[in-house]
Amino acid sequence: MSEIKIVMNILQRNDEITLINKKLLDDKGIYVINLMSAPGSGKTSLLELIIAKLKNDINIVVIEGDIYTTKDAMRIEAQGVPVVQINTGGACHLDADMIKNALKTLPLDKTDLLVIENVGNLVCPAEFEIGEDIKVCVLSTTEGNDKPLKYPLMFEKSGVIILNKLDLIEFTDFDKKEFYKDIKSLNANVKTFETSCVKNQGIDEICSWLMKKIQDKKIKVN
Amino acid sequence: MHEVSIIQSVIEIVTDKAIENKLTKVNKVSLKIGELSGVMAECLNFAFYICIVDTMLEGSTLEIEKVQAVAECTDCKHRFKIDHFNKLCPICNKFCLSIISGYELYVNTIEGD
Repeated sequence: MSEIKIVMNILQRNDEITLINKKLLDDKGIYVINLMSAPGSGKTSLLELIIAKLKNDINIVVIEGDIYTTKDAMRIEAQGVPVVQINTGGACHLDADMIKNALKTLPLDKTDLLVIENVGNLVCPAEFEIGEDIKVCVLSTTEGNDKPLKYPLMFEKSGVIILNKLDLIEFTDFDKKEFYKDIKSLNANVKTFETSCVKNQGIDEICSWLMKKIQDKKIKVN
Repeated sequence: MHEVSIIQSVIEIVTDKAIENKLTKVNKVSLKIGELSGVMAECLNFAFYICIVDTMLEGSTLEIEKVQAVAECTDCKHRFKIDHFNKLCPICNKFCLSIISGYELYVNTIEGD
C-alpha cells in the first residue's frame, strides 16, 4: 500500500473559473459587486434606486440570480440597463461557472459596473467566490439584529453591510447598538450604510462610495 | 454547506490522482477541513459512504482532520486561536484579518494499492 500526497483544494474547479472571470473583468476595468442577503431584504429595490441615480453617468450591467423566476430581471430591465437572468433551477447560490456563461452575453466593453444579485440566502452564497471585487450584504431591520451572529460567514466575508428598511425600525425591536457591536466582532473593517428604499434614504451615500470604487478600479487597470 | 457536491468533487480528484499514480484500489482518503469553512464532518461522512458506491473508492475509509483557526497579529506577529466572533490579538487587542488557517477544504492524502 502506498500513501500519496495530494493537497488539492476541493473547490478548485470553482476557484479556477473564478480566476478566469476575474481576469476578464479586471482587464476591462469593471468593478464587480456580489450582492447578497436573505430573501426579501431589499436587494432588488436598492439596486433599482442605485441604477436610477447612476445610469446617466456610468454604464451598469446586472446578472440576476434566482431559483426559478425572471421577476427581478424584469424589474431591472425596466430601468433600461442590460440584464441577464440565471435560473439555478433549485440551487441555492451562484457559482463561478454560471457567471462565466452569463458574462458571454453582456456588453462588457462598455461597462463600468457589474452587479451580481445572488440568490436570496444568508448561508451558501458566502461560500463561493465568483469573480467579484467585493461582497455586499444587505440586512433589513425586520429580520432582527441577531442575524450576523447566526449567519457569521456572510457578514465576516462582506466588505460592505447595508442596513435596510430603516423606516420600519420603530415597529421592530431591532437593536442597532447590538447589531454594530456584533458585525464589528466578525469584521472590524467592514463599511456600513443605512438605507430606506421607500424614503429614498442613504442611496446617495452608497452611490458616492460606488463611484469612488469604480474610478479606483479604472486607475488600477490603466 | 453542500456536503454531497463536496464529496463528488473529492471522488473526482481522488479518482484522477489514483489513476495518475497507477492505483487500482483506494483504501483511505484524508481530508483537511478548517474550523471556519462551514463544512460539517458528520455530513461529509454520511455523503461519502453513499457516493463512493460503484466508484474506485468503494470500500475505502474517510479520515477528516479538522484544522484550528489561527490568525497572526499584523502588529506584534503573535499567532493566536480565533473563531468567527473573536479575532482580537490577546496581546495588543488589535482586530486581525490575517488568517493563517481555518478556511481549509482540501484532499490531503490518499492510500491505495
